Amino acid sequence: MAFIVLVFFQVLVFNHVHLFGYATPFLYIYLLLKLNLGTSRAELLIWGFLLGLAVDIFSNTPGVSAASTTFYALLQPILVRLFTPRDSDDTIEPGFKTMGIAPFIRFIVISVLLHHTVLFTIEFFSFVNWTDWLISILSSTLLTVFCVIAIEGIRMKKKAS
Amino acid sequence: MHNLLNFILKYNYWFLFVLLEIISFTLLFRFNQFQGSAFFTTANGVAGTVYKASSEVTSYFHLKDINDRLTDRNIRLEQQVVGLRKVLKAKGDSLQPIDSVSRVLFHTLSMIKANVIDNSINKRNNYLTLDRGKADGVKPEMGVIDGRGVVGIVYLTSAHYSVVLPILNSKTSISCKIREHDYYGFLRWDGKDPLHANLEDIPRYARCKKGDVVVTSGYSEVFPQGIFVGIVEKIFNSADGMSYQLRVRLSTDFSRLTTVRVISNSEMKEVRALKQQVAEGEDTNK
Repeated sequence: MAFIVLVFFQVLVFNHVHLFGYATPFLYIYLLLKLNLGTSRAELLIWGFLLGLAVDIFSNTPGVSAASTTFYALLQPILVRLFTPRDSDDTIEPGFKTMGIAPFIRFIVISVLLHHTVLFTIEFFSFVNWTDWLISILSSTLLTVFCVIAIEGIRMKKKAS
Repeated sequence: MHNLLNFILKYNYWFLFVLLEIISFTLLFRFNQFQGSAFFTTANGVAGTVYKASSEVTSYFHLKDINDRLTDRNIRLEQQVVGLRKVLKAKGDSLQPIDSVSRVLFHTLSMIKANVIDNSINKRNNYLTLDRGKADGVKPEMGVIDGRGVVGIVYLTSAHYSVVLPILNSKTSISCKIREHDYYGFLRWDGKDPLHANLEDIPRYARCKKGDVVVTSGYSEVFPQGIFVGIVEKIFNSADGMSYQLRVRLSTDFSRLTTVRVISNSEMKEVRALKQQVAEGEDTNK
């Protein structure tokens, strides 16, 4: 369900956002960020691939998102472990509560940066213009991180009330 | 053997990862090279339906604007017709040619009206999705125009939807000429500015100036001759210094495309068939 909602929002709204001509939020990665540590790595990879493929089909970029989300899905458990306390149990879901505010933000920034780097590298494949490439990665990362934190905040408030 | 099995079971996700990445990259490169991968694009039925629903809602927001522009254009064209008729009369020619020309145009050119249901202008390679497909007679390599000028060329078609390569795609190359002098070159896009494209390969001896009108040349059998493309804004040397490159301000506003026409030209088919025969003949001679 969250899968369909995220893909729809991505292709109907976020894909049309181009702040300053460069920054586009790629919020669909939120789904992968939130998968808990107990998820098997094979399952993670398949989710990542399907998510990327769905976004690709809607935005006429076959393979671009799929390749980058699959790549990120491979790294996700490693990154989660890196930023969670060692003694926490295996089924925690990444978030402010479970990881602490600063580590979770660091986790998001590194995750999004990795994903965006792969994504834009594939997309710019034939273009030698590397300043555009760098600006796109950095500005989009900033915007995506901002959106992820905003959504996370809203969800936390809802749960609390 | 036992160890090998254990190894494979333990690291099965690595194999899965490699497999999925291979699928992704196959999709990526297939899309760039071959046609017929329409399933993985917006020509796919589900994606098409979603975009159609969304564009049905958003198209209303532009109606007033479109109406204004159409009225303007109508007035301009009517004035032009009146002016041309006056000139012809003054010269003492009969009005017969005008009528016969328009009859020929409508006879050989048939237009398929289509709605743009998805569009982008800010990527390196942009695509349009139209709500007409094979079932409506749209085929790959047909030209697409709107009221103001050239839009692009049909790339992939499914039963009810099609994907168009607009001028704003690095793969597009459209044969164009300068209306006054007939010098021709290829129109390409540099991937940045959705308002401008470059007309390349204009010979050095060509005399062109700012403000010249660029139209389709009719050589590429996709577009008939003389469809408006844009206006020359700047002239500079190409990178190798062998030809001129013209910066063209495009007449089509890609950010506001709503309805377009797909040109299916019966005479163009004949030209294409002839060219194919020639090409085959050359192959067998070798």
